[in-house]
Amino acid sequence: MLEQLLIFTRGGLILWTCKELGNALRGSPIDTLIRSCLLEERSADGVFNYDAPGAAAYTLKWTFHNELGLVFVAIYQRILHLLYVDELLYAMRQEFSHIYDPKRTAYDEFDEIFRQLHMEAEARAEEMRKLKQAGKAAPLLGKKQLQGPSQRGVQQGGRKQKSGSNIGSATDEDGADSEKHRGLVNNSSNGHQNGTKESIARKGKENGPPESGAFDVNKLQKLRAKGSKKNASAVISKTSKEEPKKNVKMNRVWGDSPPSESKLDFTNPGDESGEGVVEVVSADQGDSMMDKEEIVSSESEDEEDDKLEGAKSSVKKGWFSSMFQSISGNSVLEKSDLQPALKALKDRLMTKNVAEEIAEKLCESVAASLEGKKLGSFTRISSTVQAAMEEALLRILTPKRSIDILRDVHAAKEQGKPYVIVFVGVNGVGKSTNLAKVAYWLLQHEISVMLAACDTFRSGAVEQLRTHARRLQIPIFEKGYEKDPAIVAKEAIQEASRNKSDVVLVDTAGRMQDNEPLMRALSKLINLNNPDLVLFVGEALVGNDAVDQLSKFNQKLADLSAVPTARLIDGILLTKFDTIDDKVGAALSMVYISGAPVMFVGCGQSYTDLKKLNVKSIVKTLLK
Amino acid sequence: MELWMHQIERWFQQAEQWIRQQPAEQLYLTIAVVFIASILLILLRSFNPSKSNIIVLAGLSGSGKTILFYQLRDGSSHQGTVTSMEPNDDIFVLHSEVDKKAKTKPVHVVDVPGHSRLRPKLDVFLPQAAGLVFVVDALDFLPNCRVAAEYLYDILTKASIVKKKIPVLILCNKTDKVTAHSKEFIRKQLEKEIDKLRTSRTAISTADVTNEYTLGVPGEPFSFSHCQNQVTVAEASGLTGEVSQAEHFIREHVKP
Repeated sequence: MLEQLLIFTRGGLILWTCKELGNALRGSPIDTLIRSCLLEERSADGVFNYDAPGAAAYTLKWTFHNELGLVFVAIYQRILHLLYVDELLYAMRQEFSHIYDPKRTAYDEFDEIFRQLHMEAEARAEEMRKLKQAGKAAPLLGKKQLQGPSQRGVQQGGRKQKSGSNIGSATDEDGADSEKHRGLVNNSSNGHQNGTKESIARKGKENGPPESGAFDVNKLQKLRAKGSKKNASAVISKTSKEEPKKNVKMNRVWGDSPPSESKLDFTNPGDESGEGVVEVVSADQGDSMMDKEEIVSSESEDEEDDKLEGAKSSVKKGWFSSMFQSISGNSVLEKSDLQPALKALKDRLMTKNVAEEIAEKLCESVAASLEGKKLGSFTRISSTVQAAMEEALLRILTPKRSIDILRDVHAAKEQGKPYVIVFVGVNGVGKSTNLAKVAYWLLQHEISVMLAACDTFRSGAVEQLRTHARRLQIPIFEKGYEKDPAIVAKEAIQEASRNKSDVVLVDTAGRMQDNEPLMRALSKLINLNNPDLVLFVGEALVGNDAVDQLSKFNQKLADLSAVPTARLIDGILLTKFDTIDDKVGAALSMVYISGAPVMFVGCGQSYTDLKKLNVKSIVKTLLK
Repeated sequence: MELWMHQIERWFQQAEQWIRQQPAEQLYLTIAVVFIASILLILLRSFNPSKSNIIVLAGLSGSGKTILFYQLRDGSSHQGTVTSMEPNDDIFVLHSEVDKKAKTKPVHVVDVPGHSRLRPKLDVFLPQAAGLVFVVDALDFLPNCRVAAEYLYDILTKASIVKKKIPVLILCNKTDKVTAHSKEFIRKQLEKEIDKLRTSRTAISTADVTNEYTLGVPGEPFSFSHCQNQVTVAEASGLTGEVSQAEHFIREHVKP
């Protein structure tokens, strides 16, 4: 059942693995878990799904022992729904903390203890299941017929509430081991406080005890088969309904005049040649701010204010005892102790324009990493929480990959191909403006740039880029309006390799993340041309929508790509940074949800207003 | 002069009289407190100098630092390792020297995680470093060559390394495998990559935020001998326990 169980320290040494379950794991699930989940501050989820190359799908569950710095991980096949895993992990944690010794590195006696715990956990799960079955068997007989049609309706209703992934898992579990489901079908909720996705999926299938009461297991199987097919078709019909609506877009008619059929392209063919009428001096406005150092002031004064604020916001829980405990330093941190400090921190983050969901997840992750830790002497809970949050923020905002674009450009230059950067984003965030700024910066480092006008929808987009190209004196590739952007980009790249440009900057039209045909077009552009860098342009003024934008963009790019390794968003360009004073939370939301680093920050509307993100100053501002 | 001497004498007499007037217990108490305080100060100063004696193990994630750490400490890699989330910090006597009759001084070794998000942790330990071992995966070298060279470049241009001329050992790990590259090959590749990095990073105007110093001699291809601090290359194998060259480096640079 279980594939593997591990206990390891936070420093990386494996202390114990279960020797009975010695199955070789395919891929490297533990390392992936650490890199993409625990280090990304998503440790509060509790569950991680891993798809190994070679069609093996695992689910990983974990728990921490923060005081000793240990991590307990259980791995099992995703198609199984083992509900005793959480309990087993907690029991293991308890037992192991008794025998743990920092000096020892081999814990063979734990094998015996583990075998006992495993049997106990399995036995308890069996009992639970039997109880549920016995409880359900009596009242179900009378209600069979009536339950039929209403169940289908309730099933669909229940399922619509769940996320899309559950629907996916329901359909693929249908084919597999139905006998197991008959056995484990009633095993979901009751005593176990799991809250995992598996149990929710199970509830959806069997319709959850509170919703429909008891029912026959055989009936359930038939209904499940019918219901899932119906639901899948319902989902498909929903999306197909949206599509025909969007495809047919009638021109708006204002007043009584008949709609004019003439094209709305007013570009003057005369202006396309050479310099045009106006004599334009090449723009040279000094050094881009990318190359200037930022001076970060010392933090000593701010700490005092933080401490006072923290003292006021934390709940007074018996002043005398808490004072004593903080001095003696023996109290173990409980979740209830952390709650008030975390809530205050979460509110503070939200006033700095961090998306609500992100702030919540971050606080949970910090709580997970602090629970069970001993409070150091002479420290208050609020300062411990603050320190942990600061470290977490620093970790999230530190880029995972190199943001040295110049190095990548040089590498591409050696290979003889142009380096292609595509700017994507929703409407009005500043793609074209910041594209020009990036071009200016690259020009200052003696790199030849070419612009590609793939925004063929918005009136004036091509002229805008043409003006920038004229001012910067760089070539621009454009094909006018109402052409397929993917083809324009492809031809632009070919042109760039012909005239030996180092970098091609591709401007695309702004689009909402919910707009299916436009996202499909974007995905086509990216797949066809395989750019070196996909830069998502987001404005710093955005609030909770940042989470939605980025996650939907990434999802659409992943879903609609033809190859298994889809190109996702590689970097973020944060714009309009000068309009927010200290409400810098959008940077955090965007980085957290996408995992991509912030490569540039646009802080004004002239060519030199492009900076690098200073991680320490952002963290300081967020926690001020 | 006479007047001064006179004044001083009179002050002494006054002080003596004043002291005589104090009750005896108070006198003893003050003397005891002063004595204890001075002893504490001496102790603290002898225990807490800011002398640098840490050996730092750094490198990319997956290059074998944690295994190396445990080999140096215990002589075996136990049951394997996973990606480290926190530094491993310990003071111990090198395992190979535990049996020696002479009393060997314990060394303080720190294994810093290689994951890019945890890079800032390196800066915590660098001020007290006496030597840095940069661990490179000799088996999987070419795909990671650029990233490794960037990391090495960042380390070699940090202020604390340049100013204190901290010696760096580039340790090619996993040499027990057949397809591992030789240390000469790795050295040449790293020098080439750092040369390219030099041109692309110094082409930037006066202040590139991350790099504080520039490396090497301008105009000549970069070589590790251009560095002001000593940079050497060695081979090791964490899994089989072949770490003698690393131990030699450690012994050389930690004051015995």
